[in-house]
Amino acid sequence: MRVEYINPFVESAFNVLKEVLQGDVKRGELYLKSTSIPVMGVAAIVGLAGDVEGRVLFDMDKPTALKVASVMNGEELKVMDELVKATITELANMITAQAVTKLHELGFKFDLTPPAIFTGENMEVSDQDVEALIVPMETAQGKLEINVAIRERG
Amino acid sequence: MTSQANPLDAAILERPEEGRKEKAEKVDFKMVTFSLGGKEYGIDIMNVKEIARAGRFTYVPNVAPFVRGVYNLRGDIISVIDLRVMFHLPVEKREEDALESLLILRVEDHVFGVIVDSIDKVVGISRSSIQPPHPIFGDINVKYIRGIVENAGKLYIILDIAKIFSPKAEREEHPAHYEAPAAATPPARTGAPGPAAARSGTERSQTVEAEMTSGFVKEGLYSFRHFAVTAVNEAWFRTRFSEWERLRKGTDLQLHEEADADAFLDGFSSPYTGTLWGADYLDAVTSCLPETDGRSLNVWNPGCGKGFETWSLACALRRKYPQARVKIWANDSDLLAISMAPNMVFDVDEVPEPYREFLVKGRNGWTFDPAIRDSIFFEFHDVLNSNPLPPVDLILCRDMLSFLAPEEQGRVLNDFHEKLKGAGLLILGTNETAATDAWKPLSSGAVSAFAKA
Repeated sequence: MRVEYINPFVESAFNVLKEVLQGDVKRGELYLKSTSIPVMGVAAIVGLAGDVEGRVLFDMDKPTALKVASVMNGEELKVMDELVKATITELANMITAQAVTKLHELGFKFDLTPPAIFTGENMEVSDQDVEALIVPMETAQGKLEINVAIRERG
Repeated sequence: MTSQANPLDAAILERPEEGRKEKAEKVDFKMVTFSLGGKEYGIDIMNVKEIARAGRFTYVPNVAPFVRGVYNLRGDIISVIDLRVMFHLPVEKREEDALESLLILRVEDHVFGVIVDSIDKVVGISRSSIQPPHPIFGDINVKYIRGIVENAGKLYIILDIAKIFSPKAEREEHPAHYEAPAAATPPARTGAPGPAAARSGTERSQTVEAEMTSGFVKEGLYSFRHFAVTAVNEAWFRTRFSEWERLRKGTDLQLHEEADADAFLDGFSSPYTGTLWGADYLDAVTSCLPETDGRSLNVWNPGCGKGFETWSLACALRRKYPQARVKIWANDSDLLAISMAPNMVFDVDEVPEPYREFLVKGRNGWTFDPAIRDSIFFEFHDVLNSNPLPPVDLILCRDMLSFLAPEEQGRVLNDFHEKLKGAGLLILGTNETAATDAWKPLSSGAVSAFAKA
């Protein structure tokens, strides 16, 4: 993945999480992965198009998703209902949108697809021929992984 | 089945009789039996499309020795593999255009022919009577044997065709091809006395000791700096090792910590690592570049580190091919090193003269002009993952292979071979060599360049 793309994603994830969760956010070590990657339980996905093709996946386990949604809504949410899903989807949208804005300022033109959310057990994601950049984020609510796979349009 | 009368049809007609002789046992597995090097073998009939006698296969250059060529099977071109060569069994001498016994096999969607000594018949057996392979059937790797079965007083070895010919197995075979030269020299971790055993007396014990020490040094290099001594850098290692012996004057030759490994590796790096290439090296690389009138040039620069070599190469290419549209994919798996590469700012007084014409003054200092900047994609990427690149004209990979594990080196070299166009050029580190039949060296001196053989 092009080096120029990395920072906007890392920065916007950090900023948005810090803002919406009102707490400390720690960034883990970035790494690359090319095999199929297990998904922790709740995954929001935003597609990218334009100069590039790819997707950004926000991955967390269910308790984390519930806690994050609770903080964002200012009320205690205990079950994985529509509200929780909508909240996580919105979080994914916010982070990606901010990253894309930053990229736009650098001269890269990306478009977003509407986000979608997946929940379930034992899921994995694999991308043919693209390696994914994993950005782990530690928050007070639990661990989130931002998984970015982008390639230049051939 | 073919319309030609062939032994298989006959064999099928024969079978019921035989079944009666065998009686009692339930027949739920049929195999085509044949002989190879005097032993009897069987293949699951479900994998056998047909059998034929054929010869005069069309030779295909540059393939593995066990591939005899291709054959036109009623309009379908299939490749023909000689099982005896594949399994290192003796091949009977035949006349030039004699017909060979050919089994046409189908594995998944692939159809291909295998040559055997002679095809016998179809034998029906009970699956339960197949016994697991025993190591004494040593001619053929045990993992290719599905089992052994006894029928009418004969022992048949049942081959696992799917394992031998599945596309996956083919892929795995390739690295082995590259490991071979490395294995000819003592591999990094063993330090075994091996060839010295035949020599005598004090000479022997000295040689053994020297080999042990060099084995330990190799081990140290690998564990401290992940530097693997293989065919890629063996020549350099040997020279350096005798130098090392002189430097340390018979004291402790072994590497005890990272600093020792660094001291040993001092001098391995190619010229101008971590800085823009000087005019001499720039000219040396430029002189290796082929004359071409191509309009577009794709370049791959894995292991570009901080990106200095990528910028240098981009300038060299622009000077050599001012009209061409150059695209360089530069990648490194060290995020910290590569993250500064795209936005490199230079102090104009420190930049060697040949580069100055390409510099422009920006807000923060001097940078390369947009045409050069736009020709380079710096990517955070691990070359061991899949490399989605178009075919490239040039690969620049200095001092990266040596720092991969031995089997990874073979894999990456294979990938280079695959991605490089026919007339393409591979440039390795000064002290590295591609060192196999697949590559031929182009120059000696500071630039270690290779073309596809």
